[in-house]
Order: sequence, then structure tokens, then C-alpha cells
Amino acid sequence: MNAKPRLGVFKLASCDGCQLTLLGCEDALLALAERVEIAHFPEASSRTDAHGTFDVALVEGSVSAPFQLDELRSIRARSKRLVTIGACATAGGVQALRNGRDVREFIETVYASPEYISTLDASTPVSAHVAVDYELRGCPIDKQQLLEVITALLVGRRPEIRDESVCLECKRKGIVCVLVKRDEPCLGPVTHGGCDALCPTFDRGCYGCFGPKERAPTSALAARFARDGMVPVELVRRFRGITGGAEAFRTESDRHE
Amino acid sequence: MMLARRAQLERLFELAREGGRALIGPTVRDGAIVFAEIERVEQLPIGWRDVQSPGKYRLERRSDDAAFGHVVGPNSAKELFFAPSETLYRAERRPDGKLGFTAHKPPPTAKALIGVRACDLAAMRVQDRVFERSQFRDPQYGARRADTVVIGVHCTEPGSLCFCSSMGTGPRVTEGADLALAERGDELLVDALSPRGEALLAQLEATEASASDHAWLDAAMDASRARMGTAVDVRDLHERLYANLDHPRFAEVASRCLSCSSCTSVCPTCFCSNAVERSDLDGAASSRVREWDSCFTREHSTLHGHAVREQTSERYRQWITHKFGAWVAQFDSSGCTGCGRCIAWCPAQIDVREELAALTNNDRRTPLPSARSCDASQDETLVPRVAEVVSVARESGDVVTLRLRAEGFESFAPGQFSQLSLPAIGEAPISISGRDGAEVEHTIRAVGALTDALCKLEPGEQLGVRGPYGRGWPLDELAGGPVVVVAGGIGLAPLREALRRMIADPARFTDLRLFYGARTPDDLLYAREMLGWVDRPGFRLYATVDRASATWRGHVGVVTRLLKRETVGDRARAIICGPETMMRFTVDALARAGVPHDRVWVTMERHMKCATGLCGRCQLGPYFVCKDGPVFRFDEVASLFGRQGI
Repeated sequence: MNAKPRLGVFKLASCDGCQLTLLGCEDALLALAERVEIAHFPEASSRTDAHGTFDVALVEGSVSAPFQLDELRSIRARSKRLVTIGACATAGGVQALRNGRDVREFIETVYASPEYISTLDASTPVSAHVAVDYELRGCPIDKQQLLEVITALLVGRRPEIRDESVCLECKRKGIVCVLVKRDEPCLGPVTHGGCDALCPTFDRGCYGCFGPKERAPTSALAARFARDGMVPVELVRRFRGITGGAEAFRTESDRHE
Repeated sequence: MMLARRAQLERLFELAREGGRALIGPTVRDGAIVFAEIERVEQLPIGWRDVQSPGKYRLERRSDDAAFGHVVGPNSAKELFFAPSETLYRAERRPDGKLGFTAHKPPPTAKALIGVRACDLAAMRVQDRVFERSQFRDPQYGARRADTVVIGVHCTEPGSLCFCSSMGTGPRVTEGADLALAERGDELLVDALSPRGEALLAQLEATEASASDHAWLDAAMDASRARMGTAVDVRDLHERLYANLDHPRFAEVASRCLSCSSCTSVCPTCFCSNAVERSDLDGAASSRVREWDSCFTREHSTLHGHAVREQTSERYRQWITHKFGAWVAQFDSSGCTGCGRCIAWCPAQIDVREELAALTNNDRRTPLPSARSCDASQDETLVPRVAEVVSVARESGDVVTLRLRAEGFESFAPGQFSQLSLPAIGEAPISISGRDGAEVEHTIRAVGALTDALCKLEPGEQLGVRGPYGRGWPLDELAGGPVVVVAGGIGLAPLREALRRMIADPARFTDLRLFYGARTPDDLLYAREMLGWVDRPGFRLYATVDRASATWRGHVGVVTRLLKRETVGDRARAIICGPETMMRFTVDALARAGVPHDRVWVTMERHMKCATGLCGRCQLGPYFVCKDGPVFRFDEVASLFGRQGI
């Protein structure tokens, strides 16, 4: 039998939460370790191989600092398949809120010794810099979707991750729509599913952490929010969240500024 | 009709739950009146009403303690019978390499429903027609639906979004239930509509209703009709919608529609589903899972990586023209029952009644084919049979013909297709390119993960197969006159067995002409077999390639250039298979050569999952490509052919 496929897990600018999702797979992680060689996963093990080659690289985080760009290109060059995991890697993350603003001013306001900070003007998704084989959404990513992507890559088929609204997940689960029943400003109708409608399940509106779905007519949803009395400053905030760097949400947010 | 005290509901609950039946009825939960399992009368929404408007739903206290003083909530009986998510079968690859497919049967759970409105009873009939009385019967639906006790409620207080009286489904319960109740203060008027209903009613304390009770109910139903919201003009609605496929309102409504699928999900009749592979990490086993899907998703219409309906306007058009239009041709009734859910639960607050009125604001009408009757449903579990590869023939660089030993192809007709599958990878429709006794051939081009894996199979290996499905070539109608066969690329595969049979029957097929175009000489399929046909009297082969090789001495260019009056002959009948664009040019060229549309047959392609007309994905206007096609006489599909987003 051939050697096991080699898996590497890398991080750029991120909070490590998506990597924790992989760690949180528990029993499935053990099963995964039977199928693949987890060659590089600093979050889990101090035995690492940062410079090796990989069959599958999972990349968490956005490109936010100059050194990350070099690191990312190196990872890409050494990996057969590169899968980005999470809102930072796929949309720039919450740190993309600085994009289009004066970063120098932020640094000087926030840091006592700004001269130690080396950063790019914008936080950008991995796909802005290198070819990405698959993007896994979410903040953090969903455990089942992560296992599905890895399983599908191992089998050699397309991951069964559907680009559909959170509404469909709500309806399959029998969740009563929070937007319809009490005008809760829920982003579910324009947001990519995959979280199993986590927030609506707990009677809260979706805040879009999986980013926009393939056809995300945000202006039609903003029009509904406005009819319910939402003021422009709040519309700006609503679409400028964790995935505010994603194009559909960014343009909608900018439109109300 | 009988009269009882409302307190008899206690007794009715007992009777309905007898033998361990789950009782499902309206109850207040999560800020709405939902349809869920209940055990006691107090769990009914006593003293509650729902106030609904487009995109808004609110619960309010009533001034009385009516138990059924509300309309319909976000969910319906649909989810009880057509599960939002369910496993169809388990597939496994055993250590010896053999495959196994095991059907997953839903556990039998007897149910009783109470408080079902006339609109929702109509919806149950509509879904029964789809899942139980079409060409194929869905056993999972049947198992859940069987032996259900139904207690309906006459709707005395419709909401502003209700339009059941327009759709002819309510407010009065007249069929589809065992009992029908009307609530009048602390009294119940009870009608038995079935023998089981009679038996239930006999066990209640009730007296014969008086003439004034009957008059009260009639008046209450009249008042209910009068209180409905905006009416819908249903006269020839399906024909008026189909006459307006290019109406500018579709683009306008698309600017407001979120394409979120809420309307189709809350609709009590929408039945589209997806089927996905959930594989275990070791890749040896998987479950085939069916889930509610919607024509508002991109994936619903995706064919070879491209969505047939990319634009929201095209998806909205698919939904509304299916629900109120094509449904009539498919199932002999409208798909809408007037319950108003798609209006209440639309986050964008779109009112389908307004859209219908705007989309049909003219006198145009386009007739649709009448519904096909279906007397003989056959059970379709969607579980593959195991087939074994006998031999593999490489036809060209990326095309392989698998010869399979498989049961169940006795009734095969040329032009039909199979669903081929491999555990953990998936399933795809593949046309059948030949049959010889218990052996069937499938010609496959490697274009994705599954077809790659199929093309790599070796003799002795196994795969899953379902079929044959669909309508094949009309060989009997072709017999007697000259026949023209036009094929593009791998489009020759579904024509090959038809060609073989015509060649083997020179008495009926005296004049047979094959026009075949491929990219390069190396891409010509079945070259050796075709050379054997050339000697047969009355057979002529016209082959052409897009790009010639050094040794190619035949035609170069598109196949339609060969179709001339002198090569075709104006008495010919023609059958065509190839990409849609190629078929469109071919049909035009044939028309110029004197062959009209009603003597041409084409094979259509849409995204197929179930192949049995039950998943709703392969719709082409009034047709399901999987069971009404894939072969169509061209005039049946001419008005839809080549039209963007249909």
C-alpha cells in the first residue's frame, strides 16, 4: 500500500478557532489519523514539518502582514491541494474591517510602540494571492463540513457542500423564521449555509459568518431591514461583520455609509 | 352531521392516540402555531390567533378561547411524509471488493393528524399524486403516509393571505379526512367523511345536528370565503403563465427576490429534493441521503458545472410557472392550494398573488400538453443493484465502453439510460449504448470524479446500477420510410443500439443514413463497428470531423453542413443526439432539407438525480426529462428549446 497522504495545517492572521474545530473532531480525528499522516499541525503537536510537501494543506487566516505572503506562496508551492478554512482565509476576516482606512492611524492609536508593527494596508483572503482548490466557510468552520471536504478529497470526489442559504437549513430543521416572526434582522437569506442554522436554532438572527451565498441580493434584504425601521448606520454595521470583506457584503455595507 | 360539546375533544384525542399513534396537531411553540406532536387538548393553541401579512407573522391573544381560531403556521404535514432529510440506502465496499447496497426503511410510525385545514388536505392530495400515483411510487413516502388518521377542521377564520377559495381547495373540508370539525363556541359540529371517521364519531357523545346547525355552517363558510384576502384569477392560469415566459415582471421581481428558498420550503406541496453521498472517512462505505431542495438554489439546475438557471429571474420563473403552470400538465392539478405560506414566510415580502396578476396582465395563452394518466405505478426504492464489469473497451482518449452483467434490463429500449454509481463517490445518469442478453453496455466520458472512477473499472469489478429509465427512440414510428440519424461526439452512444436494431431489420428500415460529427478522427466512436455497417445495402455513412488528421480523407466541418435536400431526402424521419446547440442547428438544417419538426426526435439533457420524476430537478417546462424524455419529438419541446434559463 502507498504511504498515507500527508496533511498540513497552517495559519496566517487568525484566531486559531478553525484549527480548534479540527482538534474538536475527537474520535473522527483519530479515524482521520488512520487515513492520513498529519505531518504538520502546530496547534496539536510540537512534532512538525513546516517545510515538507503535502497532499492537502489546510490554511487558516488571512494575509495581513508581508511575511505571510511569502509563507503562503511557499505552502502553495509544496501542496497538491490547498483548502482555505474559515472566514479569515476566505474573506479576509474581521481584520479586513481596516481595509480602505488609514492603517497607520490605527497602529499609532492602538500600539504603544508602533515601530514594531509590520502590516499590510489590507487584510485579504488567500484566494487573492494563490490558487485555492477549495474554500471552506465559517467563523469558525463547521466540523462536519471539514470532515466532508477531507473525506471527499481522499475519495477523489467533489465535496458535497452546497452553496445555499441558511433559510434552507432552518426550514429542514423546523426553525421558525426569526425575521418573519419578529423582524429580527437575520442575514440568513443571503448567507451561505453550513452551520446547520446555529444562531436561528437559538432564536437569534444569522450574522453572516459563512459569508454571502452564490446569489446574495443583499440590497433586497437591506430594503426589508429598512422597511422595518433600520437606520443606515445600523445597515452598515449589519453587513460589515466577520465576513464584511466578502464582496457582496462589503458593497452593501459601503452603499449605506 | 353531529353536534357535540367541545369537551369531547378529550375523548377524540384518546381515540386518535389509540394503539400508540402519534397525534400531530397545531400548538404554540417558538412564537408560532406549529404543527407538532401533542398529547393533550390543552396543548392546542387555545385562545391564540395568528396575524399574517407578507413577510410577517405575529401571535396574538384572542378574546375567546377558540382552539382552532388560527390559520396555517410555518410548517405542514409535508415534513411528516416527505422527510426533510432521510437516508435512502447504505452502500459499502466489502473487504473482498464486492459491493453491497442496503435500503434504509423508515420506522413505521402510525400517525393521527388533527386540525388540518382544507388547504392542507388538498396539499396532502397533491403530494400523494406526486409520490404515490405517478409512474414511480416512492416507498419511503408511502411507508410514512400509510394508515394516517386525519381529522380536518373547517376554516371559519381565514387570514388575509389565504386564497383557498380561489384555488378551489377550501375553506370547507370535503375530502381527504376521516372527520371534519367545526368549532362553535363550546360546541363542535362533526362530520364523518370515511368509514374510519364513522367509527370514531360513533364513540363520541354527540347528537344529530339540526337544520339550523347546517345553516350555521353554510353561513360560516360563506363568511369565510368573503373574508379571504386578494383573490387569484385561476382561469387558464397555466396557459396564461406559459404565454408570458419573457414578461419583464420576472426581472422586476428578481430585484426583490432573495433566492433564499423559503417559499418552496414552507410550501406544503413542493417536492424537489437532492441526493448526496455521505461517505465514511475510510472511503469504504457511504450513505445516500435525500434532502429537501429548492429550484431557487444554483445547484438545482447545474449541468456539467453550469447552472441552467443562473439568474434569479429564471429561478423565480421556474418556481411560479411550475407551481401554477407545468404542475397542471404533470399532475392534473395546480401545485398551489392557496394556503398563503409562501407570502407570509417570504423574508422579502413578495406576494405571489400580486406577481401572478402582474405576469398575466394580457390575454395571451399558450396551451400546455395534457397530463399523462398513470395507471400502473411501480415502486422505486432508488437503491442500486449490483452489476459486474464483463469487459472494457477504450473508444478514444477519454471515452470507455463498459460491458456489464446486470439484471433488470429485459424491458430496455434503445435511447434509455441508467444511473451508475460507486459507493462513497456518487451516482450519475449514463445512456445505454447497447444490450446483448443479460449484458448491457454504457459508453462513458471521463469528465468528473465519478465518471473518472467508472472509466478506470476493470473486468470483474462491481458497480451500482439502476434503470433502465426514460423514453427511448420511436423505432416503430421510424420504420417504413427513410431514416436519418444525426449524432455529435459522444451523442452516438444512445443511438448505437437503435442503429444496430435498424441495421438488423432491413425489411423495415430500407434506407438508413448516419451523419456523425466528432472533434477529431480519433474521437469517432465505434469506428470498427461502423465500418462493418457500411456494406449493408441501404445504409450510408456521412462522417465529419472538426479537425482533420494527416490521414483523414473524409469531410471536415460541422455535421449540419452535410444535411442537404439531396443527402437527407424530404420523406425522411430523423433522430438526433448531441449538444443542444448542435441539435438546434441540425433541426434547422433538416427543416431546410424538407424534414418538418414533427418528424424529428431529439434527446434532451437536464440535471437528473432520481431518474424517476420524484426529485423535480430535470424539469423542462411541463416535462420531466428523466421519465417523459430524454427522447422528445421536437415539436413537443420546440417552444422551450434553446431558450435561456428554462
